[in-house]
Amino acid sequence: MTFSFILNGEDVLVKARSADRLVDLLRERFGLLGPLADCRHGACGKCLILLDGRLAPSCMLPAFKVRGREVITLEGFSQTDEYADIKGGFEEAGLELCGFCDNGRILAVAALLERNARPSRDEILGELSAVPCRCADPETLTQAVAAAAERRARRLYHRARQ
Amino acid sequence: MPEGENPRAAQAEPRLSDLLPAGGLQVVTIRSPSPRGRLLGVEAPHLPKGYLLIEARDLPGANRISCFGSELPILAEGRIAFSGEPVALLAGPDTAVLADIVAKVKVRVEEEEPLVNWESFSSEQVAAKRVASLGDPELAFSIADKVVERSYRAEALEHWYSEPQGALASFDYDKLEIRCATQWPYHVRDSVARALGTKPEDVVVRPTRLGAHLDGKLWYPSLLACHAALAAFLGKRSARLLLSREEDFLYSPKRAPEAVALRAALDKSGNLSALDVRMSIHVGAQAPLAEELLSQACLAVQGAYVCPNLRLEGYAVTTNSPPLGAFGGLGAAPAFLAIESLSTELAEAAGMDPIEWKSRNLLRKGSRLLAGDPLKEDTPFDAIAEQLCRASDFRRKWAAYELVRKRRSCRSEGPMRGIGLAFAHQTGVFLSGSGPNSYTVEACLDKDLRLLLKTSAAICKGGIADIWRQSAAEILGIPADKVSIAPPDTDGSPNSGPVTLSRGLSVVNRLVERACTAIQKRRFRDPLPISAKAIHRLPSSSAWEPNRVAGSPLESAAWGGAVVEVELDSWTLEPRTLGLWLCVEGGRIVSHARAASALRAAASAALSSCMRERLAFERGAISREAFLSYETLPLAEVPPILVEFLEAERRSPAKGLGELPFDTVPAAFLSAVSQAAGIHFTTLPLGPDALSALEDA
Repeated sequence: MTFSFILNGEDVLVKARSADRLVDLLRERFGLLGPLADCRHGACGKCLILLDGRLAPSCMLPAFKVRGREVITLEGFSQTDEYADIKGGFEEAGLELCGFCDNGRILAVAALLERNARPSRDEILGELSAVPCRCADPETLTQAVAAAAERRARRLYHRARQ
Repeated sequence: MPEGENPRAAQAEPRLSDLLPAGGLQVVTIRSPSPRGRLLGVEAPHLPKGYLLIEARDLPGANRISCFGSELPILAEGRIAFSGEPVALLAGPDTAVLADIVAKVKVRVEEEEPLVNWESFSSEQVAAKRVASLGDPELAFSIADKVVERSYRAEALEHWYSEPQGALASFDYDKLEIRCATQWPYHVRDSVARALGTKPEDVVVRPTRLGAHLDGKLWYPSLLACHAALAAFLGKRSARLLLSREEDFLYSPKRAPEAVALRAALDKSGNLSALDVRMSIHVGAQAPLAEELLSQACLAVQGAYVCPNLRLEGYAVTTNSPPLGAFGGLGAAPAFLAIESLSTELAEAAGMDPIEWKSRNLLRKGSRLLAGDPLKEDTPFDAIAEQLCRASDFRRKWAAYELVRKRRSCRSEGPMRGIGLAFAHQTGVFLSGSGPNSYTVEACLDKDLRLLLKTSAAICKGGIADIWRQSAAEILGIPADKVSIAPPDTDGSPNSGPVTLSRGLSVVNRLVERACTAIQKRRFRDPLPISAKAIHRLPSSSAWEPNRVAGSPLESAAWGGAVVEVELDSWTLEPRTLGLWLCVEGGRIVSHARAASALRAAASAALSSCMRERLAFERGAISREAFLSYETLPLAEVPPILVEFLEAERRSPAKGLGELPFDTVPAAFLSAVSQAAGIHFTTLPLGPDALSALEDA
């Protein structure tokens, strides 16, 4: 079947089989290597994308399900100010991710900060539990997200004043 | 994070999952459906052009890879050792066509009853054995005031590493290039060369990004690299084998389960006077790390305690399960779990609080060890205990929880809380004598005062590379940003051994320091550029001899302790961790923030392994249901983790400390849950059986 959707801000038209999963479509057709096809049953969080602004596991989504909807991958998200806030917060806290869970964790933080500008430790770790990777410790993750939230709040404050 | 966005991207390796060479072969593994038997043959349908089936007889070289003295087949030949053992490879350009062919392939096996029992076993199942003794245990038991007996058991665990295993083989001019995520690039190179019957120099290994691995990528990538290399060699095109997460979960090595039976004697003053140990380690089929796992466990089982009379019998036992092995260390953690849990019970038997009993029995200068020479220095356990007690308020909480427990007549009366403390040491030394015995680092200071470090251990996480930079910069008096690290290719970097037991710090960092010191000595005499090579050779005296370990394996050990506080839910009886405290003496700590972060991450994983991660074998195999239901502890359930360091002298060497949480947290957790419940638990992870026992109680 042929359908269109918005991918990282651009209208795209694709042809896919009904059994095709979104993660394979993104990686193989569009060369977007941010989402990883790892566990393929929605448990590892490495394939997360933002679907209409909400987190979704792209390994569990049939490709046709995104018809007419907006998909943002890490590659698209990395062009935004929100990404710069998160990246800056992670660096400030000295958070070193393994290079595999970054996609899921960054998008999970983005979704969290969109809902809750000042999340608590429990809220942060609750959200990041969607990406069960062993590479980082909870305290550094919490500090990194808190630093990202602070940067985001400062940026929005300055924008509102302008 | 996409390449180019990451400040480390220039030096970071690509991910294997992202390497999709156009026009290459995809490789799938044909596996044995039976756990044990005689392989009669592989029947495949007619293969389309461009597709090939590879069996053991097609190997141009030896059908073997060697690992710590053991030999494993690359493809099964004659005998089947476990369910899922690779018997053939199917390679071709289209994955959909490959899937169709695989469904039609038949593996014929004359089945035999599999060996699945590893706690009681026959002599043919023994892959390694250790017998050792100290003093006169018989006499000590005969005059003992009290004798306590207990058996402990630690189950298998999945590493849940960052990326499933695999390998890509392709041709780079006259060489075969292997890309894979491995802890040991030179092992991959040598294994592939041996399988293809070529010289090691004809193969170059360029490691891909490793991620979190918990020692799950020690030797298995070499096997998969041999598979991919065979397909590339015989198919004359690049070939990639990437296991799915499910396939990886079902067939790759897991943490080797251990059972440790202890019988301890207390003298009239309540001190430990004798210990009788019988341990068996389930190493699965083919037993690649049997000698090393058993040696490390035997060294660890004395724990932190003086015991003048000791007797040990240890076995590494093979079965028809997939090979089992390392996990956050090489076999020591379950041994520490046993002795530390027992020490809490011994304190109870002696009528003391755990801290008092442990302090009275701690290893000190001159203490005799089951493995190795008597200790030449005092251990820092007293200071660690002091710091942990102060930080966690251990003494008061332990006494209060004891009081509440003794007065409680039903679940609703007062909180069901407990607190536990455990010690451990981490050696960073291979003990079996069959592991790699030479490690090299090269350094070159050029005319612009830029230093290039070459080591195959550069696959370590970025934090360790920063520590090497800092160490080198301090010695040479140059800015750290002028120190760069060459890619860990086997062509360009020397063999720095496997990255395990925190050897990136305990060995490689010392080699970096030695190479830089050598350059510094010549710096103002010789013209630049100056190169230096530092080589570490394993002292042969550290290996196990028939009945003991000679040398001093604890000489350069890191020491640590953990306190865990838990509460049991009054309705479900599920344990919830309230707090976790770690204290470590790890020599010179180059970066406190990084070391603390690494310890907290390891402590989270260790806690997860106690509470959630359950892996059962059915007739020696792991089921698909186990894969679908396997879960790690959600981050939100990890309590705040406080890490403290005992300060060491500035010039004392940095030690590896990353495995200490795996050695201490489980025992502290088990003691805490046992206190909360008033039952002595002996098995981790705590499964439904344990909770139902608690319910009955």
